[in-house]
Amino acid sequence: MNTIRDRRERGAAVLRRFSRSTTMTLLCVVLTGYLALGVASSGAFLEGPSIRTFLRYLATPVLIGLAQMVALCVGQLNLAVGALGGFTACLMGVLMADQGVPAGVAVAAGVLAATAIGLVTGLCIVATKINGFIVTLGTMTILQGAQYWLVGTRTVDGYSAGLKDLGRAAPLNVPLVFVTALAAAALLAAFLYRGTAGRRLLAAGGNPLAARLSGISTDRQIVLAHTLSGLLIGVAALTATASLPGVNRSVGGDWLLPSFAAPIIGGVALTGGSVAVLGTVLAAFVMRLIDAARAQFSLDPSWVNFLIGVVVLGTVVGGRIHQTHLEKRGGSRGRVPPAPPPNDPRPTAVLPHPGGSG
Amino acid sequence: MTMPVLPPGTDTGPAGATPPRPVHRLPFWVNQRLGLLVLVIGLSALFGVLQPAFLDARLVLFPLVRDVSTLTVVALAQMVVLSVGHMNLAVGRMAAFGALFAGFGYDRLDLPLPLGLLLCLLAGAAIGALTGWIITRTGVSSFVVTLAMDFALLGLVSLLYSALTENAAFTSRPSGLAELRSYSLADICVGPVCGSPVIPQLAQFTVLALVGLGFLYARTRIGRELLLTGANPAAAELSGIPTGRRLILAHTLSGLLAALAGFMAAVGTGTFRASIGDDFMLPSFLGSVLGGTLLTGGVVSVLGALLGTSLVGVIRKGLDLLGVGLESLNIYLGCVLLLALSADRVRTVVAHRKVVRST
Repeated sequence: MNTIRDRRERGAAVLRRFSRSTTMTLLCVVLTGYLALGVASSGAFLEGPSIRTFLRYLATPVLIGLAQMVALCVGQLNLAVGALGGFTACLMGVLMADQGVPAGVAVAAGVLAATAIGLVTGLCIVATKINGFIVTLGTMTILQGAQYWLVGTRTVDGYSAGLKDLGRAAPLNVPLVFVTALAAAALLAAFLYRGTAGRRLLAAGGNPLAARLSGISTDRQIVLAHTLSGLLIGVAALTATASLPGVNRSVGGDWLLPSFAAPIIGGVALTGGSVAVLGTVLAAFVMRLIDAARAQFSLDPSWVNFLIGVVVLGTVVGGRIHQTHLEKRGGSRGRVPPAPPPNDPRPTAVLPHPGGSG
Repeated sequence: MTMPVLPPGTDTGPAGATPPRPVHRLPFWVNQRLGLLVLVIGLSALFGVLQPAFLDARLVLFPLVRDVSTLTVVALAQMVVLSVGHMNLAVGRMAAFGALFAGFGYDRLDLPLPLGLLLCLLAGAAIGALTGWIITRTGVSSFVVTLAMDFALLGLVSLLYSALTENAAFTSRPSGLAELRSYSLADICVGPVCGSPVIPQLAQFTVLALVGLGFLYARTRIGRELLLTGANPAAAELSGIPTGRRLILAHTLSGLLAALAGFMAAVGTGTFRASIGDDFMLPSFLGSVLGGTLLTGGVVSVLGALLGTSLVGVIRKGLDLLGVGLESLNIYLGCVLLLALSADRVRTVVAHRKVVRST
């Protein structure tokens, strides 16, 4: 039986833990940054049209960050994020504009194709036992070629007006593409935190040997992770196609680095076994803020890359310093609290809520 | 991270002085480098037969060898970090960073050609050392750190170019640069004997890098220690190797080689600009991994990097001459990478089974 007092105490503990997590820091950074931008632009940034533009171009970074995160959580990498996204976007555009396929069918075909390519990549990694890094490097090259083969040097923009309208639609200043991205994130979070399949995925990433011994096929998890990654990239390509004025060979060219930056800033360990859906979404927010600030102060676009690089390096170094600090403090108290192991790859944000039914 | 600074006891002796012969050697056809050499020669002959223009010394082979020389250095830059089990995703950006300093030296400081090259190499080594230092001090995976470094340098180099120059490129050329670019061995004559017109003079840097790294890995103690650090960091640490310093050394060397490649690419195109090294990442992995260097560390093949890069170069050039569109080449290159590695895997498994059966 839970008394109200008990519940309140537990709630306070959860809150306290949350206040120290990466997610909370990111949330503060996002809010402060947004307000600061609003003040700097003397309020123009807080008005409807600005918010709409801000959120519309946030959808794709969120989705590609999540796609990379799913691959990272089983200890894999997906270098083909940008190439697959660009290829899928071009495929949808060409199907609609050149072949006259109705928008719904083309979109479904594109998303299915992306999922299938993810599946094939996963199967390839498992079957040949070649490092996933090299396999996705290969698929990246192939897909870049395929994208060029589809569109060449032209820009395909004569596709369905309905899809473009949907991309531009923003009831209450919240663009539909952004809602799509958030919905995908919510579904992914439910899958990873609440579903058995998601728990298996994390187990296989966290400790493959232990997972195998407890009857989880790591091979199957790797295939599943790459398939999911492909599906998310397909959705990202859909949002890109809907919100961009047209698709050409440069779509997806600059997705690779942000796709890694979002999960890393969001607190996902590259060694696998950890996910942070909210952290990844917020990290994409931070990067979009940097981009918006760049546009606001009309700086050189190179500043964005430079700043994102510095932020990632800062996150990495800061996280390490924080951990060392914690260890030292734990040690000086005479090791009364069970100090975390020195190389604990799982940040706190990873652990599911206690009491989650598996 | 604490590391023992004392050298191991003298009784260990120089590593590899008398290598014990393995009892069961794998059959010779498993040798990846031999396969690569056969492939390179066979494909060159095939392309030569299909398209006689392929064997044109001045228009095709000379630029091909020049590109291969540059990309071999890029592959070597990647190989050095792979040897300790790390990665360098910023290899292209480090090349751009080095080339920026060379261009700056020529344009603003009026340095002669060798001094500019020296400045370029120093800059590359410095940025590589910084990367290595961050990795060892924080213990974060090299993938993340070099990825972030890639971001940071991508921005920084463009910013510096737009701040220092009018049209984002250093165009002033010191004396000797044009010669370095277009001269081949045919321009060096000892008496009546002249060199081949196919080998560019730029290749001297590649040869130097190959010989230097070959010596480092095959003959020196530091090279052995690098490999051991890559194969098993814990064992290396326990046997008294300062693994931290070896990691920094590997990244410094990688930065230095990347900067050299950047310089060579800049000489090849004639201008020093920010886009140098944009397309270095794929060839760096292609060359080194096709050549037999393991991603997990501990195994390198210096000659393999040259052969792997040559194979990619020959395929690219040959398909280009046969009329395959320049960009859809990527489809074939990706397939080649995957097929070559799958074939290699099959070969190893088959050979291993044979050896096991024969015992």
